Amino acid sequence: MARARFIRLPFRGDVLSRAAVVAVIALLLAGLLAPVLPIGDPEAIGAGPRLNGPDGAFPLGTDNLGRPVLARIFEGILLTFILSTVAVLIASVVGAIVGMVAAYLHRTADEVISRFADVLFSFPPVLLGLLVTAILDPGIHSTIAAIVLITLPSMIRVVRAATLDVVGRDFVIIAEIAGASFGRRLFLHLLPNVAGVIAVQTAYSISLGMLIESALSFLGLGVQPPSASLGSLLREGAIYLDIAPWLVFGPGAFLAIAILSVNLLGDGLRSVVDPLEARPLH
Amino acid sequence: MSILVRYALARFASACLTLFCVALLVFAAIHAMPGSFEDVMVPQGTQAMRDVLAERLGLNKPILEQLGRWLSQVIQGNLGDSLVTQESVAAEYLRRLPATAEIAGLATVFALVVGVPFGIFSGLAGSRRLVSQFSRLGGGLAMSVPDFVVGAVLLYLFTRYSLWFTVGNWVPITENLIGNLRSALLPAFTLSLLGIGLIMATARHATIGVLGQDFITAALARGKSPAVIVRHHVLRNAGIPIITILAIYSGYLLGGTIIVENLFSVPGVGRYLITGVLNRDYPVVQAGVLLAAFFFIVLNMLADILYALLDPRIGRRRG
Repeated sequence: MARARFIRLPFRGDVLSRAAVVAVIALLLAGLLAPVLPIGDPEAIGAGPRLNGPDGAFPLGTDNLGRPVLARIFEGILLTFILSTVAVLIASVVGAIVGMVAAYLHRTADEVISRFADVLFSFPPVLLGLLVTAILDPGIHSTIAAIVLITLPSMIRVVRAATLDVVGRDFVIIAEIAGASFGRRLFLHLLPNVAGVIAVQTAYSISLGMLIESALSFLGLGVQPPSASLGSLLREGAIYLDIAPWLVFGPGAFLAIAILSVNLLGDGLRSVVDPLEARPLH
Repeated sequence: MSILVRYALARFASACLTLFCVALLVFAAIHAMPGSFEDVMVPQGTQAMRDVLAERLGLNKPILEQLGRWLSQVIQGNLGDSLVTQESVAAEYLRRLPATAEIAGLATVFALVVGVPFGIFSGLAGSRRLVSQFSRLGGGLAMSVPDFVVGAVLLYLFTRYSLWFTVGNWVPITENLIGNLRSALLPAFTLSLLGIGLIMATARHATIGVLGQDFITAALARGKSPAVIVRHHVLRNAGIPIITILAIYSGYLLGGTIIVENLFSVPGVGRYLITGVLNRDYPVVQAGVLLAAFFFIVLNMLADILYALLDPRIGRRRG
């Protein structure tokens, strides 16, 4: 019996990546639709009893101000996703252009760009975030700046390496001889050949960005109240860990699922772009 | 001069250059920041007080002179004094180093002991669906669940049901070895999870890569047993990527200890640094970031030199 297919998921034969696609879509929908879902108002102080455990009325309990935790989580998911995605898109665009230019121009430009990436790369990730927050005041803008600076060097390196494989090919040389402009060669000839690599690196960077955002917010250096991200919810919850563990377990579980899903999505993309041949040893 | 020594020297020179650029960037970053040292130290101070302070700290000198003075102090091991306690930052970092080094070291050992065998095993199982999906999920989980989430769950479980481990009550190793382990194992385990995931994925990837090589087919054709193949070919070839990932993991450890020390109240380097950031104690932040970058650069340099030792092709190709 032929089954009607309304939706076709990507990553055929890859159960985990398919599950990840579903999870990411579900989390995003939850975040977007939170205002109309019957889960309560995340900002309604005193909507329920304070620090009340999970029950029928509040599936994930309430926080120290009586706000419903589930609604706060859905609100936080959206901010966590958006912050990380915006920052990583900035890093991807800049990193892709700079990486391609470095590989294509060789010599001085390559040397300067690679050295710059090396220097950024030699800061351990969270520490670069701390330095950025120490300079800018902690908040959404400093968190985005931190994620951009942390994900940029690996994007530059990956794109540069992928472009180096392409620059010597005949079609690029022919485009050069035919007098195609620099921008045309870069975006029409090089970009399509490294686009897959950029997509994979972007997915991984978004999951890293979510990790950085939540770590900084957990330390009190990222998103500041009244805004709430999953990391800042965990920070607030950690204060009541002994008496109200659901304040940590709920956001923690959602954060882990969100990051894991984006990561698995990256895996799925990678196996499409760059299939690794697996052969068992008999 | 041997090729290897030349390679090592070139790598050393490049590490020094990177470190110099990092120092410049840190200096520029701290000086680009809005508000000055005087605002932090004497927020309500008069102009006269500010002038005295600027004179003492050399803040009224030209920027290049300040940079030169700071660099020469750093090279001599003087990282300045804390704005809050007025004590030497370098001495405080040194005093707190053992606790951090202990949990980071333990975490690395856990990560290797668990990650390498599991990674190789799952690589040997190859494309068998169930194994590969499970190892992907396990590795993905270890890499995705943030350390502060795992740490918070452990913290809750072990404060509630106080099983053998102690939480939030650090005992130095010089005082009591058992007591020290009781307080160090949980933070170390929390830190090691990402390492386990990274090393497992790397070992698995490397194993699959090696098994596809012609020399494995040749060894199979010669009738070598799988055990011999794993010992002679797989382990040896998986070594290099594992060293690379260890160097990367060390960078994570430098950041991860900040979070874990904060969570488990370990009196280490990371806790000092985060207090510095929250107090806007710039010499502490400046020194902390610089020291962490220094460690990271040195470890990456050692890893590069170590590959050249393990794989003679690397030194020769570049040398």
